[in-house]
Amino acid sequence: MFWHNFKYSFKVLARNRMLLFWTFAFPIILGLFFNMAFSDIEKSETLDIIDIAIINNEYYQDNEIYKSTFDTLSDKENEDQLFNITVTDKDSAKKLLEDDKITGILTLTEEGPNILVNQSGINETILRYVVDEISSIVEISNTLFEDKVKEELMSGNNKIDYETLYKEIVELVSNSETNIKNVSNDNLSYTMIEYYTLIAMSCLYGGMIAMFITNYKLANMNSIGKRTSISPIHKGSMLLGSLIASYIVQLIGLAILFLFTIFVIKVDYGTKLLPIILLALVGSLAGLTLGVAVATLIKSNENTKTGVLLAITMTGCFLSGMMGITMKYIIDKNVPIINWLNPASMITDGLYSLYYYDTFDRYIFNIISLLLFSLLMFIISYHGLRREKYDSI
Amino acid sequence: MTVFKTFWQVVKKYKATVILYTVLLIGFGGLNMATNDTGATFTDSKPDLFIINEDKGNILSDNLVKYLKENTNIKDITNDEDKINDAIFYRDVNYVIYIPKNYSEDVLNDKNPEIKIKSTGDYQSSLAEMMLNRYLSIQSTYLTTSNDSKVIIEKINDTLSKKTTIEVASKLDTTATSNATNYFNFASYSIMAAIIFIICLVLSSFHEKSVNKRTIISSKNYRILNRELLLSSLVYSFLVWIFYCALSIIMVGDILLSLRGIIYMINCLIFTFTSLTIALLISTLVNNKDAVSGIVNVVALGSAFLCGAFVPAEWLPESVLTIAHALPAYWYINSNELLKSIEVIDMSSLHPIIINSIVLIGFGIVFIIINNVVTRHKRNILKKI
Repeated sequence: MFWHNFKYSFKVLARNRMLLFWTFAFPIILGLFFNMAFSDIEKSETLDIIDIAIINNEYYQDNEIYKSTFDTLSDKENEDQLFNITVTDKDSAKKLLEDDKITGILTLTEEGPNILVNQSGINETILRYVVDEISSIVEISNTLFEDKVKEELMSGNNKIDYETLYKEIVELVSNSETNIKNVSNDNLSYTMIEYYTLIAMSCLYGGMIAMFITNYKLANMNSIGKRTSISPIHKGSMLLGSLIASYIVQLIGLAILFLFTIFVIKVDYGTKLLPIILLALVGSLAGLTLGVAVATLIKSNENTKTGVLLAITMTGCFLSGMMGITMKYIIDKNVPIINWLNPASMITDGLYSLYYYDTFDRYIFNIISLLLFSLLMFIISYHGLRREKYDSI
Repeated sequence: MTVFKTFWQVVKKYKATVILYTVLLIGFGGLNMATNDTGATFTDSKPDLFIINEDKGNILSDNLVKYLKENTNIKDITNDEDKINDAIFYRDVNYVIYIPKNYSEDVLNDKNPEIKIKSTGDYQSSLAEMMLNRYLSIQSTYLTTSNDSKVIIEKINDTLSKKTTIEVASKLDTTATSNATNYFNFASYSIMAAIIFIICLVLSSFHEKSVNKRTIISSKNYRILNRELLLSSLVYSFLVWIFYCALSIIMVGDILLSLRGIIYMINCLIFTFTSLTIALLISTLVNNKDAVSGIVNVVALGSAFLCGAFVPAEWLPESVLTIAHALPAYWYINSNELLKSIEVIDMSSLHPIIINSIVLIGFGIVFIIINNVVTRHKRNILKKI
């Protein structure tokens, strides 16, 4: 009977096109949209080459330090190229600024450098910092030079090679060493969280499959439910058969989604394959038990049940960062308990910790939390489903 | 009137959905509202920083921290490696600096101690790195001249205090207009979803087999029935438009009570019309109520993601934008983006917006024609039966 029931549950599920659309196709379509919208975001946030204009006047032409520094910073062969410079007259520079073709205009005057920009912003600030830096190099060099000359004169040395001395000092000032070491983790791509919430959503959407199949076993839902309820078959084994069928359908959908995200939209899940599979299995179990619990607890028609399940799933996904990844961080930081209870968050967090961290502590916590959630849902459903009696239907 | 009344009865049944799309608009529209006013004076961008100073109480490291505090936002995070890593990943901080023990002493002894950092690798972190680099190189230069930390920091601070003068050219302040653009861009999703979803559901209730059979045998002329349905849909769309425009004034503010605001709203009205024609076409093509929600999600979410309603169009890849040309929302959003930065509103500056509107209306007409062709085809099939 178990196998018979398993087989037919499988067939019923495989033929429900709407259900398959929501659980199989919808996450894939959403993933495709995410990929189209987000693929360039992170690239646009890294430091790009900034277009600026420098007014071509005598102060600029005479100032070796400015000229050589900007030459280096705008050298196309330089790996650290920061600027793209147009050296031009005042009017054409203003025109460029008005058309938003450049970030700012640098003018060297007798009183020092002067910058004209369109608005406050990060590119403008960077331009200012660079100019600040160059002017401090000029200033320090001058002071050091004066000190040195004084020193030499005091010691009675009158034959000073001023030019070489100045060059030496400039060299010293602009090439002073700093010792900074970057120790960041490698995997820093935060848009990955979006795809992880997609996996979480897909796991929980599996609850719709489980709910649909559970409704067939409830006498108050449809006539098939009535017939199965009065048949002399052990209900537990029958339900188990159906649920295993729905679990398998759910896992097939999830596997397709994983393959799609890995091979088509190139989502990076890190390298730990087995833990990812375990997480997918446990996450799907959480979705399944959630679906059964909603089907049992809500005594209403199918539409209301679907509505409730969707509301729970989407709220969970929202809190785990699907509509803006900062959401998950804000909750993790301020009220972590909400995310511990939220299966969508635990699935997302599990994938995140496998991607970003080398240790497994957080991942194990996620798995345990998901298992506890499933157990709780199972107990609730078990109490709701056993020994049901109806006075009238 | 019967049809008109029934229409609204069905609308009432699905009002929760309209509320949902509106809440989304308020929520996300509100989140994207920029409040800082970029006036005529320049304000430096400040990266978010976190500093772990294990050399506290020593003059050199304290001065470094003081300098960074003045030029960046120091974030308050628990000093725990996992928390710091999370903060970096979610861009809560852009840059983390670890000042090692005995830093000041090592600097004075010319040991050039290593400073560890963590960085998000974005614009802000590059700026933070520039600051740190600049400070450290100035420090190491002055170290060659003196060995007294007090003298050194005095010189450092003196050098760092000198800043280049920076002026802001007087240009249109785009904060308010970009708020309006953000709102109307996101509204494209809400309008499209609210119109397609409701109209498709209502019309498919009328097209339901048993209902349809009853209306066919009734004395009501089907032309009048169709006209009333069309009229009700028009009234519904118009109300949606008025509602979202009123909401825009509440949320964005009185910048919309101007000529520019009126153009925003006209643009929105044209888009509402195009959405209505899409809704009518879909309701002719699909009569299955279950399928409607799937189609609405794919159509509305798809056009919102591809055309720049959620993610600004400037951040979208070229290839996506090319595809987006085939969708009405692209032209609507393009007009909104243009309206953001137009300084003087006259015929020449409005020219591209007018072209966008013509394209939008063109889309609408094409959808109406397809709709008519499909309807006629369907009716012919019915006649043959």
